[in-house]
Amino acid sequence: MRSELAWGAECAWPASRRSRCLPWRSLALALALIGALQFGHGAWIQAKAWLAQALIARAWDRTLQGERQVRPWPWADTWPVARLTVPALGIERYVLSGADGSALAFGPGHLQGTPAPGDAGNSVVGGHRDTHLAFLRDLLAGQRIEVERADGRRVVYRVVEVAVLDKRDVWVAKQEGPTRLTLVTCFPFDALRAGGPQRYVVFAFELENRGGERGMRG
Amino acid sequence: MHSDSPVRHRRAIALDMLGFVARATAVALAAAAVLVAAVLLLAGRAEAAESEPGALLLHTLDGRELPKAPLLSTDVSFRVSGMVARARVVQVFQNASADWVEGVYVFPLPESAAVDRLRMLVGEREIEGEIQERETARRTYQAARDGGRRAALMDQERPNIFTTRVANIGPQESISVELEYQQTLRYDDGRYSLRFPMVVGPRYIPGFVRTSAPEQLGWSPNTDQVPDAARITPPVLRPEAGLINPVSLRIALDAGVQIEEVASAYHPVTVAAPSVSRREITLAAGTTPANRDFELAWTLQRTQAPQVAWFTEEKAGRHYGVLMVLPPAPAPGARLAREVVFVLDTSGSMAGASIRQAKDALQLALARLAPGDAFNVIEFNSAAQALHPRAVPVNPGSVRRAIDWVQSLQARGGTEMASALVLALDGSDEAKRVRQVVFLTDGSVGNEQALFHLIRERLGDTRLFTIGIGSAPNSHFMTKAAELGRGTFTYIGRIEEVQDKMTALFAKLESPVLKGLEVIWPEGARAESWPARLPDLYAGEPVVVAAALDRLEGSVRVRGTRAGRLWEAQVPLAQSTGSAGMGSLWARGKVEGLMDSIRNGTPEDMVRAEVINLATAHNLVTRYTSFVAVDKTPVRVSDAQLKLAAVPTNLPEGWDYGKVFGELPQGATDSRFALLSGSILLLLALAMLRRRTA
Repeated sequence: MRSELAWGAECAWPASRRSRCLPWRSLALALALIGALQFGHGAWIQAKAWLAQALIARAWDRTLQGERQVRPWPWADTWPVARLTVPALGIERYVLSGADGSALAFGPGHLQGTPAPGDAGNSVVGGHRDTHLAFLRDLLAGQRIEVERADGRRVVYRVVEVAVLDKRDVWVAKQEGPTRLTLVTCFPFDALRAGGPQRYVVFAFELENRGGERGMRG
Repeated sequence: MHSDSPVRHRRAIALDMLGFVARATAVALAAAAVLVAAVLLLAGRAEAAESEPGALLLHTLDGRELPKAPLLSTDVSFRVSGMVARARVVQVFQNASADWVEGVYVFPLPESAAVDRLRMLVGEREIEGEIQERETARRTYQAARDGGRRAALMDQERPNIFTTRVANIGPQESISVELEYQQTLRYDDGRYSLRFPMVVGPRYIPGFVRTSAPEQLGWSPNTDQVPDAARITPPVLRPEAGLINPVSLRIALDAGVQIEEVASAYHPVTVAAPSVSRREITLAAGTTPANRDFELAWTLQRTQAPQVAWFTEEKAGRHYGVLMVLPPAPAPGARLAREVVFVLDTSGSMAGASIRQAKDALQLALARLAPGDAFNVIEFNSAAQALHPRAVPVNPGSVRRAIDWVQSLQARGGTEMASALVLALDGSDEAKRVRQVVFLTDGSVGNEQALFHLIRERLGDTRLFTIGIGSAPNSHFMTKAAELGRGTFTYIGRIEEVQDKMTALFAKLESPVLKGLEVIWPEGARAESWPARLPDLYAGEPVVVAAALDRLEGSVRVRGTRAGRLWEAQVPLAQSTGSAGMGSLWARGKVEGLMDSIRNGTPEDMVRAEVINLATAHNLVTRYTSFVAVDKTPVRVSDAQLKLAAVPTNLPEGWDYGKVFGELPQGATDSRFALLSGSILLLLALAMLRRRTA
């Protein structure tokens, strides 16, 4: 009798039809439940990321009309500081203040301590490679990134270089050198898990005028 | 079988079912674990595969690639007799490249080391180093370097940080620098200890950046608060690149009397015992990477342990000596109510093992407080923050709350120590209270002098006790801060030490202090002893002074008071043990006294002149004097380029690189992993259900 209690064997004890193979079914249901929770968790991260951008778009409109630090929802601890577009890829993203985990869940975040996008110096923006900054892998040297600032001014940048670096390469945030936008996300793009040591970094220099473009590569 | 009743049959079935459920659950969990592990492994692989190239390249923090530095290895041997140690440190600079190289190595030595000899070894030849004024030595060295001759230079940056530079190391060639120093051992609570630091932990550099010097060797630029920051911040190798700078170590210990126990706290050692009073100690592994302090401690057989030691040396008609007298243990007095302020360093350098040690120690100290005492806790990193605006009475609730708060703290950010000292030292002076500040830190700061000033200014009636945490604490900061704070210092380098070290500290905090210590030398000896003013002594600590005198006649008297009772000891000067190197120790003690006098307002120019005289006479490396050794014949032709390279150092053991040097924001979520593993589990469940119902 005991030897028949193995995977694939018929349930051997006498029991009613309804409760037949109860352990097997409850096991399957438990797996289904865990699977659903896990799937839901992943879906929720993605849904949150994209729904939030819609709410942030409204906050950005109010920002352009002169309000400051407009929180997209009442309990938010971040607010949009710039709108970033890549015409070649049809991308539009709202950049939030702060590049910590709580802001990055809802949009790319501007690293505190670096100048706001559009200001002189090196503005650093971080974001998730599997949500808002997934487009970085398609971004090529020479392409334009446009930034709309809270004061309505528009600044155009041109991608000059992309690099795979280590998370401790904090020199990418240093201020010396030309005015630029530095976009940071995790690498590799297809990795399943978060927390890897590598970073994909896009360096885009400010285009001052058309004459300046000729000096650039591409 | 046939006689089985239906009841028993049903029971057997029930048991079987239970067994099956248990097994099925186990198998399911195992299957789930295997699946998750497989997914994790695949995900991990994807990242690991990409992270290989470039990992071994060394960069400065601003991304410049560094030239190939010479490989460095160190061989240390100690001769310990009684209470003094003589160390010989050989640094081998091996140039593995095809270029001519100039190597620069920033390294620590004990804060009390009197470095009195340097030789440059090239093959079989030995070139004796010479003490010159720092600036002169630099020019001598540069002239030799530019002229293609081999040369070595050794500067002191802090009492515990030194730099050696070696010029014109030929391709595939090596040059060694051998230095020797003299040191008194630490004696505390019946234990002698010998400490040898191996790495300068990355220091926090406060202040605004000044324009950097053209030759930038450190990872930090100079700032207004730390004008020599670049000189004390050698490049740090990322931990995944491996451990470098091997050190081999040998100690010949001759205690003079029977040794009871010898132990190395942080490194496994092999101990041989040629006789009851002698030991020979080597590292069990042969070498160890220079990434944490070495400490050897030993106790003597109780009945034979001397209460007095007097070592002397005669040099140029003058006698130099070191005197140690151990006062009797204090009688347990009435316990006085205390106000204790704990200060915890929660900066990035404390992340990892250090903060765990510090939290454990602090928790122990909090639990030890007695009703009637008052306490407060302050934490600091980029800013300081107190748990309570002022000290609160000790009761189970307040202690519980403090412990919970301490547990919740995280180590990250800068080390703005000044703000914590300002909070902790209130500067007031009240006769009747006992106020103690217990400061837990690794002391990883570059602005020690400014902090010492602050302690001196604001101490009042408070006593400051430093606890050096972690694998590479800044010993200069620990000892000097405790000295200026009229307290004591303790080191905790491993979590297993917390209990013992803290218990010893509590004994000091709670028993009466030996005050008003005086050393009275006989008339006519023209004695000059250092330190000029003796510190108060806590339970278990000896009086240690270094003296220079004309003759060894009569007796020296040592006296002080403890809990209102006078204690006095007499030592006949003629009963001395001869020991080389006492002159260096005395001169080193005097140099320290002179340097400290700058803090009390003596003009630095006066001090400098006196220190240079003293150091030249006694062949000492100081802040103002350096060793330089120059070979006579040029070896490098002028058209062969010389490449300057800083020797990288290890990150101290237990430290977290990212927490010290910062990290870029994390740019990913686990959403894909969650979606994938969720889908796999759902599909699996579906397959199982279909199979059953089919």
